Amino acid sequence: MKRLFTILLLAFSLALTAKYPDPASILRAIDANTRFTSLKSTTRMVIKSRRASRTVSSINYSKGDNSFFSEYTSPPRDKGTKMLKLGGNLWIYNPGTDRIVQISGNMLNQSVMGSDLSYEDFMEENSLLQDYNAVIEGEATYDKREVWNIMLTAKRKGLSYPKKRIYVDKERLLPLYEQWFSSSGKLLKTVRSDQVSRIGNRWYPKHVVFKDELKEGSGTDYYVDSIAFDLKIPDAIFSKGSLKK
Amino acid sequence: MIFKLAFKNILGYGWRSLINVFIIALVLIGLIWMEGMWFSWLNLAKTQSTQWEFGGGLLRVKSYDPYDVFALEHSHAPIPAQAGNLVASGEIVPVLFSPAVIYPGGRMQNAVVKGIPSQQSLLRFPSQALMPTEANPYPAIVGKTMAKSAQLQEGDAFTIRVKDSSGAFNAVDLQISQIMDCPVPSLDQGTVWMDLQALQDLKQLPGMATTLALRDQSLASVASPEFKLIPPNEFFADLNQMVKTKASGQASLFVMMIFLAMLAIFDTQALAIFKRRREIGMLSALGMTKARIILLFTTEGALYMLGATVLTAVMGFPLFWYFARIGFSLPKGYDSFGVAGFNEALKFVYPLPLILFTLMLMFLLTVFVSWLPARKIARLMPTEALRGK
Repeated sequence: MKRLFTILLLAFSLALTAKYPDPASILRAIDANTRFTSLKSTTRMVIKSRRASRTVSSINYSKGDNSFFSEYTSPPRDKGTKMLKLGGNLWIYNPGTDRIVQISGNMLNQSVMGSDLSYEDFMEENSLLQDYNAVIEGEATYDKREVWNIMLTAKRKGLSYPKKRIYVDKERLLPLYEQWFSSSGKLLKTVRSDQVSRIGNRWYPKHVVFKDELKEGSGTDYYVDSIAFDLKIPDAIFSKGSLKK
Repeated sequence: MIFKLAFKNILGYGWRSLINVFIIALVLIGLIWMEGMWFSWLNLAKTQSTQWEFGGGLLRVKSYDPYDVFALEHSHAPIPAQAGNLVASGEIVPVLFSPAVIYPGGRMQNAVVKGIPSQQSLLRFPSQALMPTEANPYPAIVGKTMAKSAQLQEGDAFTIRVKDSSGAFNAVDLQISQIMDCPVPSLDQGTVWMDLQALQDLKQLPGMATTLALRDQSLASVASPEFKLIPPNEFFADLNQMVKTKASGQASLFVMMIFLAMLAIFDTQALAIFKRRREIGMLSALGMTKARIILLFTTEGALYMLGATVLTAVMGFPLFWYFARIGFSLPKGYDSFGVAGFNEALKFVYPLPLILFTLMLMFLLTVFVSWLPARKIARLMPTEALRGK
């Protein structure tokens, strides 16, 4: 009797597993959509505070996970501010003071231009397949799209968010809603993506809302106005010399 | 005879003498008051820092640099095994520091979180309020200044986020169990206090600490190579330096006052020598040497100082007594200046060596400025002096 029960339980769980695709293949597909060899984009970040909201526009260049360069083009107050990420280092150039400041230690916890994003978030490398183990916990409908509900747990130490729950569009294989948790399971951040467009052979969101769930407010809207992947970007852009140019 | 003559002359000057004595007495009262204030403040600040933070001695991890906020994340080491019993008995109080982000009322604010055992009684810190209860499993204490800047009140809950030892974010909801009136600003400003065990769990740093406050320095022998003993002169170096800087700034005012007082004496003496030429000639004709005449005038100056000392005691006593008994309370808001010793009435202490030094300094200066114009007498001819020329 006991044996029969075990066989039935095993068969049931196998049937359940068979219902879902291999979660690693979903993460691989997400990585294919969101990762790139190089990228150039123009974006707007709408930062909402208690009193007002302001829009910061920037032109951005990326190469792989480790090199990122961004220059703010508006508003006039922030124009000329530049940010460079090289590996594990991050520098900010402020044209007002004509100084380059390295952001490190506890400063990485600070918010970027008052947004819901921290410098730490910029520093995260984003291969879900490499960084997380995935378990599909179910299916749902999100924003009128059929999605997989996937729980991610960190494979290695050093990741800021050891647990993530992502709701992945079944057809486009792109996360539409993400919840990022602390070690204790407290919800820290959410990321909502919409206006998903086909760009070349990938699906990419043109509008993302980042929300620090511990902070008051309705989050930071991130709009992608233009984007091009896999371009040839001169290496000189990703150097400290380009910060003062 | 010289002393008697000088005394009579001083009395003979009447109001002029009284004004001189009064001015010197005022300067003396000011000097003693100021020195008493700096001394008492330094004393109080050191006492408060000792009671709240330093204990009988302090061990600190070598990687901790109070001037480098970036070093804070990694400034911890295992509590030495041989200190285990002493920690349990409360002879040693371990404290763990960590950078943190707090979210009071949904606002994001950088802070330093410090964990201290809730059962400790070695330091005056009100750590009993950190004892977890069913209603408040994660109690926290903040100082008045921090409560004001973070707009927190007793009973308020807020989330604190730290990075644990693996580099992952960890967060917990704390509830303010007490807002303490802490006299040591470094324990108040930008700091949130929680139970050591709770912080170690949150950071996943079991058995780790940044500092170890000792009941007495003899316990420093438990230190492991990661910890170093902080001598009192290093711990209080900033405080000493600040008092020195502030005192020297204040001293310039008193140098000016001393200068004015000395000018008054110099002026009186110079005028007296001019007016008393006949007298000088007479004394000289009667056989008094020039040196003795100079001594007479210098003694007169010294007598001003003597009179001023008596007047200082009479006039200054009520003032000195008031500040020693009732104390000197700084206006509200001064305790947020970032300096210990500002949150309670400063009761003055007047150390005898300092008073004696002040009196001696003033005495020497008075004698000097009295002697300075009297040198002219040496150049006077008795016959011309008798004729008043």
